[in-house]
Amino acid sequence: MIGTDEYLGFAPEHDAPIPYMQRIRDYYQGLGYGAPYRWAHYAEVPFQPLKKPLAASRVTLITTAAPYQPGKGDQGSGAPYNAAAKFFTVYSGDTAIDHDLRISHVAIDRAHTTAEDSGTWFPLPQLRRCAATGRIGEVAPRFYGAPTKRSQRTTIERDCPELLAQCRADNVDAAILVAN
Amino acid sequence: MCHQTVSLAARYLEKNGVTTIVMGCAKDIVEYCGVPRFLFSDFPLGNAAGRPKDPESQASTLELALRVLESAPAPRTTVQSPLRWAADPSWKLDYSNIERLSPEEIRQRREEFDRQKQIAKTARNEARAAQ
Repeated sequence: MIGTDEYLGFAPEHDAPIPYMQRIRDYYQGLGYGAPYRWAHYAEVPFQPLKKPLAASRVTLITTAAPYQPGKGDQGSGAPYNAAAKFFTVYSGDTAIDHDLRISHVAIDRAHTTAEDSGTWFPLPQLRRCAATGRIGEVAPRFYGAPTKRSQRTTIERDCPELLAQCRADNVDAAILVAN
Repeated sequence: MCHQTVSLAARYLEKNGVTTIVMGCAKDIVEYCGVPRFLFSDFPLGNAAGRPKDPESQASTLELALRVLESAPAPRTTVQSPLRWAADPSWKLDYSNIERLSPEEIRQRREEFDRQKQIAKTARNEARAAQ
C-alpha cells in the first residue's frame, strides 16, 4: 500500500523555502545570545511602475558584494565568514569593465555553495548582454555596492539616501538589487 | 542582513521614483520587510542570480527578473524561479540549524561569532577614522 503523500505526489514537508528568521532566531538563542533580532517589517509597500518600456530604460545593479581587498584575509571560493572584508559605505563601479567582487563578508550558505562563480551574485555580464540585444535600453554607467548592516536605522538614514542620490545622478530608471 | 538591506533599499528607491526588483534566496526576510517586486530563487544563500557555472540558468534567472520588473501588477509581487537547486531538498535542513549542532560545535560557533564581531568592530572603526 502506498501512503497519501506518494499517492498524491506531495513534496516532502521540508521542501519549502527555508524559514530564515525563525532559524536565525533559534540559532542565536541556542548559542546563548539574548533578545532576538527585530527584522524590518512594513505593512505598506511603495510601487512605481516603469515610466517607459524596459527596452528604453536605463538599468543599474545594486549588490551587497565587496570589491576584493588584498591583505584582508581569505575571500576566495569556499572562504569561511570573513568580517575583515566588510565595507561600510556605499561604493560604485564602472559597468563598462569587469569587477572582482566577493561575498566572504556575508552569511551565505557555506555548507552548500562555495562562491566560485560571481555570475551567481553579480549578473553584470548578463545585464550587458541584455543591453546588447535590446532587451533593456542600456546599462547605467555605474553599479552600486550597498553595505549590509545590523542597524536598519543606518541603512535607511545613511545608505539609502546615498544610493538614491547616485541613482539620480546617473539618471537610472530601474534598479536590480541582488541579495546574498 | 543582506536580504534586509536590499529590501530596505528597494523600498526607498521605489518611493522616490526608481522602479526596483529584488533578486534573492531568503523569501521570508524579503516578504516580511515588504518590497515592490521580488524574484525568489529557492537556492542556498549566495546564488540569487542563478546556478554556479551555469550561464544558461543565470541568463534565464535575469530574464525572469526583467519580466517581473516590467509586468508586476501590484506591490509585493513575488515570482519563484522554476529552477531547483537539487533533486534532494535536504540541503534546506542545514543552514544555521541549531538542532543539528553538538554542544562542542555550539561552543565553537559562539567563539567564532564573538571573534568575527570584534574584527567587524575594528574594521568599522578603521573605516570611520579613514573618512
